[in-house]
Amino acid sequence: MDLLQQVANGLGLGFVYALIAIGLTLIFGVLNVVNFAHGEVYTLGAFAGVALVTLAPLPLPVLLAAACLAGAAAGWALERAAFRPLRRFRDEASQKSRLLRESTLLSSLALSIVVKEALDLWFGGAMLPIPPQVLLQSPIRLGPVVLTDGLLLIVACSVGALLFLQWVLRRTATGLSIRAVASNRLGAQHTGVDIDRTVVMTFVLGSALGGLGGLLVGLYDGSVFPGMGFNPGVKAFIAMVMGGLTSLPGAVLCALLLGVSEAVATDLVGSGWKEVVPYLLLLVTLWLFPRGLFGGAKERV
Amino acid sequence: MRKLLQACLWAATTVAALAAGPARSQELVIGLQAPLTGSQSQYGELFRNGAQLMVDAVNAQGGVHGRKVRLALEDSKGDPKEGVAIAQKFAEDPRVLGVIGDFGSSVSMAAAEVYARAGLPQLTPSSSHPDFTRISKWQFRNIFTQAHEGRFTAQWLREAGVRSAAVLALQNDFGQAVTDNFARNFEALQGKVVARELVVPGTRDFRATLTRIARGKPDAIFLGLFYEEGALVMQQARQLGLDVRFFSGAGIYSPRLIELGGKAVDGLQLTSGFYPASTEPRVQGFVTGYRARFGAEPGLYAAQAYDAAGILLEALRRAGGAATRAQVRDELEKTRGYEGVTGRTSFDAQTREADKPFIKLVVRDGRFQPAP
Repeated sequence: MDLLQQVANGLGLGFVYALIAIGLTLIFGVLNVVNFAHGEVYTLGAFAGVALVTLAPLPLPVLLAAACLAGAAAGWALERAAFRPLRRFRDEASQKSRLLRESTLLSSLALSIVVKEALDLWFGGAMLPIPPQVLLQSPIRLGPVVLTDGLLLIVACSVGALLFLQWVLRRTATGLSIRAVASNRLGAQHTGVDIDRTVVMTFVLGSALGGLGGLLVGLYDGSVFPGMGFNPGVKAFIAMVMGGLTSLPGAVLCALLLGVSEAVATDLVGSGWKEVVPYLLLLVTLWLFPRGLFGGAKERV
Repeated sequence: MRKLLQACLWAATTVAALAAGPARSQELVIGLQAPLTGSQSQYGELFRNGAQLMVDAVNAQGGVHGRKVRLALEDSKGDPKEGVAIAQKFAEDPRVLGVIGDFGSSVSMAAAEVYARAGLPQLTPSSSHPDFTRISKWQFRNIFTQAHEGRFTAQWLREAGVRSAAVLALQNDFGQAVTDNFARNFEALQGKVVARELVVPGTRDFRATLTRIARGKPDAIFLGLFYEEGALVMQQARQLGLDVRFFSGAGIYSPRLIELGGKAVDGLQLTSGFYPASTEPRVQGFVTGYRARFGAEPGLYAAQAYDAAGILLEALRRAGGAATRAQVRDELEKTRGYEGVTGRTSFDAQTREADKPFIKLVVRDGRFQPAP
């Protein structure tokens, strides 16, 4: 019975990673660059929600919408500040240049540090107090297993986000242009796809989910603080790599695998080993499947 | 308005202090190394505020032997490597006569190696790892060790009828020391330790660990955590429906524990070295002074840093107007019956450990109250 509870605990962890991994993977797919500031977008979403509820006792859906909006706005600003300036070189050589990719990577890292330190200076490094009525920790008993309303909401949001994104990608014009840019940016540009607009849309979509995830997790764990994006951000990154870098369902499945393995490992070997497990899984995956579990045929690593 | 005035005054004195360059040689300098940024910055802030309050109070009364005291701040970010770099900086500055810090045992102990070689007295207000003061004769601490606390808490739990306990602590020098000392003493008193769980600092989801602990059906869980993790653990334990009593050492004590944990932390029994609602005038003076200056409640670590600064300044005073680092060290060693806000403190001349009283507290109705 304990094992079932651990699987439930692990799914909680896993869906948290999944919510972040979805946005991260979406942005990587389009730009081919890791967005290191994604963890901070997640943090900003959580801060926006908690700051708002401290000002006025708003209902949860409003808070979640606010976190989405804050995430989307942060994503838009992030794209403007860290990514667009480095996309002004339109020639083919620059677009394939490794140096430019690395610069983009570092510009997002730089911005993530600025945001984190700014939050730290403004709010202090400590956890923000969260009004108990908005905490998503009400137990829900299901036979021998205890779930929470927060967990159910996180699951619903992750699955919803995944389905919504699949719909956007497969059924809308924006989705088509996102897929076109992801598969061949130069080609898309030559056929008249507005690259800038597509990239902005990708950032807004991915970051809105990031912001939403931040608030959900903050309320589920009871913890919102400037450094909160780091640890789940790393796990989401691992999930993305294991999933094959560009596969959304792959990233989600790997995120769940990571979460459940962490919880089960805690039970079997002890809490101290929990953090080792994701890295071990990553190593084994990359050793056996160099392109990730769902990497497809495209040569990447 | 008052805050604005304070800020202006603060800015003005800072500018004046910077402008008065040559006067600096007349100052006495004590160093403070603490995590002022990063994930432990909330504790570093308490350190800085507490120590600054004491230094300012002494300066307002004319300083030490007519010389102003300056608190030199360095940010260790909670990183042992930074701690070593700061220690080197302080050691190379001949004006620095003593150092307060660091916060965590890991950083304090890394820096201690440098202070030991350089011969600069180091006084930590918080690091309670037993090995710290064994590094050299230059290390002092103004907090009870885990060895004292482990003995005291183990006995308390046994007297409270706890037969079996699980320990949940941070996986660092502090948490290891809490776990070892509590478990050893608890077992020596015929208590049963059903689990020893060490969690990586920064963990925010403790459900898996709590589920594992619950399987051993302990009467109580003993926490070796700080207030943030403590609040989260108790919230998540209530959510998982764990029916168990919680105990902790003084490390968890902070007004913010209740602010963060709400109803979930009700019933937690803990030791403390500081009780702000105490009726003692010295404590009340400190609490009101701290509130007025910083607009916040002082936690244990602010009080600890306040007393550490007081003890160090007292040693400076006794060492005389032209004190050397060695003289300051010798005077620190002779600290006996220092009346601070964390109780009467004496240093043991051989071990350089502090002898201080423990207070038993319990969280009830959203307040810390003296435990029966």
